[in-house]
Amino acid sequence: MNEQTSALVALVNKMPDPDQRGMYCADIDKEKIEGAIAKILKGGRDNIIGVIDMLVEPGKGDDVKAHYALHCMALHVCKLDNNRPRRRFSRTLASQIGGDRPKEVQKYLIRELQVAGGEEVVEALGKLLVDEELCEPAAQALATIGEGASEQLQGTLSKVSGKCRLTILQNLGVVRDTKSVGALKKAVSDEDEAVRIAAVWALANIGDADSANMLLKASDQADGWERTQATKACLLLAEKLLAAGKKSEAVRIYKHLRDTRTKPAERYVSDAAKTGLAAAD
Amino acid sequence: MQKSKRVTRRQFLKGSIGAAAAFTIVPRHVLGGSGNTPPSEKFGGALIGCGGRGNGTFGGLGPDVEMLAKCDVKFVKHADNKKVYTDFRRVLERKDIDVVAIATPPHWHALISIAAMEAGKDVLCEKPMTRFIAEGRAVAEAEKRYNRIFQIGTFGRFGRSTNQGDILTHKIMKSGLLKPCKAVHLKRGGLKVREWSGMVNAQPKPIPDTLDWDMYCGPSPLRPFHPHRFGGTHRGYWDYEGGGLTDMGQHHFDPVQWTFAKDDTSPVEIEAFAPPAHPEACGMWGWIELKYADGFTIVMDSTEWPEAEKPSYNRKESRGVSLSDLSEEDQKKIKEMPNPEPLVGFPEAIRTRKQAGGHAAASTRCVTLMHLSNIAIRTGRKIHYDPVKEEIIGDEEANRLVNPPMRAPWHL
Repeated sequence: MNEQTSALVALVNKMPDPDQRGMYCADIDKEKIEGAIAKILKGGRDNIIGVIDMLVEPGKGDDVKAHYALHCMALHVCKLDNNRPRRRFSRTLASQIGGDRPKEVQKYLIRELQVAGGEEVVEALGKLLVDEELCEPAAQALATIGEGASEQLQGTLSKVSGKCRLTILQNLGVVRDTKSVGALKKAVSDEDEAVRIAAVWALANIGDADSANMLLKASDQADGWERTQATKACLLLAEKLLAAGKKSEAVRIYKHLRDTRTKPAERYVSDAAKTGLAAAD
Repeated sequence: MQKSKRVTRRQFLKGSIGAAAAFTIVPRHVLGGSGNTPPSEKFGGALIGCGGRGNGTFGGLGPDVEMLAKCDVKFVKHADNKKVYTDFRRVLERKDIDVVAIATPPHWHALISIAAMEAGKDVLCEKPMTRFIAEGRAVAEAEKRYNRIFQIGTFGRFGRSTNQGDILTHKIMKSGLLKPCKAVHLKRGGLKVREWSGMVNAQPKPIPDTLDWDMYCGPSPLRPFHPHRFGGTHRGYWDYEGGGLTDMGQHHFDPVQWTFAKDDTSPVEIEAFAPPAHPEACGMWGWIELKYADGFTIVMDSTEWPEAEKPSYNRKESRGVSLSDLSEEDQKKIKEMPNPEPLVGFPEAIRTRKQAGGHAAASTRCVTLMHLSNIAIRTGRKIHYDPVKEEIIGDEEANRLVNPPMRAPWHL
C-alpha cells in the first residue's frame, strides 16, 4: 500500500462504525466526518476512484465506510458555491460506469450521480440505457438531471426492448419530450399492456393535443386496470390542454367522457368530466 | 344525520336472483341515486397491505364496511384472486368494492390511493400519507378530479376541532391578524429516531418464496432482499419511508396543523442539525426547525442524540397564541368569527359525500413537514421552500428529492 492509499484508507476509516444493531445511531461525530470528507476530496480524482475501488458487490465483503464516504462526498460537493468540484466529482463517477465493475456497484454510482450529477454526465448515463440491469437507475438519474436527458432517451428507444423500452417510454413522459410523440403514439397499440399504459400517460403528460382521439379510443376499448389508466390519461390531457389555453380540445375530451361513461360503475368518470367542463366555462 | 330508507342487503338479495349468485354485497353504484349516495346496508371493502396495521386501518372504515378482499405481496402461496390477492390492481378492478383501506409500507400509499380513486373507490390510507412531496399533491388532485373521499389514518385533529382552546387558536391563526406570529410549537422526543433507523451493513438474503419482492419494491429501486427492509422495519429506509420522524410525525403534527390553521400552506425555511445522512438508511438527527411565512415555527428535538455530544435544541421555547396578542379591535373580530365547521369522519363522509376531516389536500401539507425535514437532513443544507409551487427554491439538488422518478411501470 503506497503512502497516498494508506492516507485515504485512514480518512475513510474516520467514518463511523455501525452500532450493535448495524445502524448509524451512536458515536456520530459530525465534524470528524465532514473534516475527513473534505480532505478526501482535496485528493481529487485519484481519491474519488480510490474510494470507488473500495466498494464491493453486496454480500462480497465490508464496504460500509467507503459506501457512506462516497455519499458524503456527493453531499459535500453539492454544498459548495463553486460548481467545479461537483462537476469533477460527477465526471469521475461517470468514468467508472459502463465497465467491468459489479453491476450493484455501478447502480450505486448511478444513484450518486442522481444526487450530484449534471449535464456533464448525461452521455455516460445514456450509454447504460441499453443495459437490462442498469437501464432503470440510469433513466431515473437522467430524468432527475433533466438537462440533456431527452436526447439520450430518444436516441436509445429504437435500440431496446422489454424492461428498458418500458422504462425509456415512461421517462420520455416524465421529461415531457415533445419530439418523442411519434414514437409514443406507436407504442399506444403495443402488444404489452404496461407499454400501452406508459405511452398514453406519457402523451397526456406531454400535453399533446393531437393525441386526444388516440387516447379516447384507447380508453374506450380497454378493460379493467388499463381502462382506468387510459381514462386517467384522457382527463390528465384535458387538464393540460385547458391550462395551455386549448379550451376547445379539452372540452371535446370532457364531453366524450361525459357522454360515454354512463353505466353506473363509471358514473364517477362522467361526473369528473362534467366538473372539468364546468371549469372550462 | 337523518337516515334515509335503504334497501337492506338481505332484502335486495332476496329479490334479485342474478345478484344473489354474484355478490354478497350490493355495490353502491348499483342502487345509488344522485350523488352516488349509498342505499345498501353495507359497503364492499378491501384491505391492501395486511401487516401489523392492516386490521386496525380497516376498522377505521367504520362498521358498515364488509371485507371482500385482502391483498398483500406476501400472499404468493395462497392468493386465489377471489378473496386473497397479491396484486392490488386486480382488487381495484372489482366493481363490488366501494372502499379501500391501505396499510402497505408508505412507498405504495400514494400510488394505491390514486389508483383506487381512479377506479371510483373511496380511500382510508394509513399514515404517513406519502414517501415524497409530489406524491401528496397527486393524491389531492385525484381526490378532487374524481370527487372521492380520502381520509388519512390519523384522527387527532377531530378531537382538536371540538376543543374550545384549539378552536380559538385556529380562529386567531385563520384570521391572519397576528403579524408577525411569534408562536412556537416545540415537539421534544417521541419521534422514534433510533427505533426506526435502517441498517447500514445489511447483507443480502434469499427472497422468501411467499413474497413477491419485485412488487414489494414497486416504484422504489429493486434492491437485494434483506428482512430488515420488510415487515415494519421498512420504516428505516428512504426507499420506503423516512424513519421514525415520518412514521410518527403525521400523528403528532396533523392536529397541530389544524389548530394553527396551516392546512393550505407549508413552511418556507427549514433547517436541521444532523450528521451527513446515509444514502439508504435513515439515522440519527438532533433538531429541526421549520418556519412558516407568518413566523409560526415548529421545532422538533429528537432528544436521542448521543449524550456525549448532545446538540440540544435550546434556541426557542414553546409559545402559544392568545387573544391578548391582538388589539382590542382585532379581538372583537375574532369573537365575531364563526366557529369552523365540524370535521366529518370517514364513515359519515362515504355516506354523505362530504369531504372527510383528514382529506388529502390537508394531509399532504402535514406529511410535507416531515419530507422537508428529511430533505434538510439528507442534504445537510438549510432549505427554502415555495409553498405555492411546492418546490425548493435555489437548490436544484435538494429539489431532486421533491419528486424523484419512479421505477416503471409506476408513475404518478
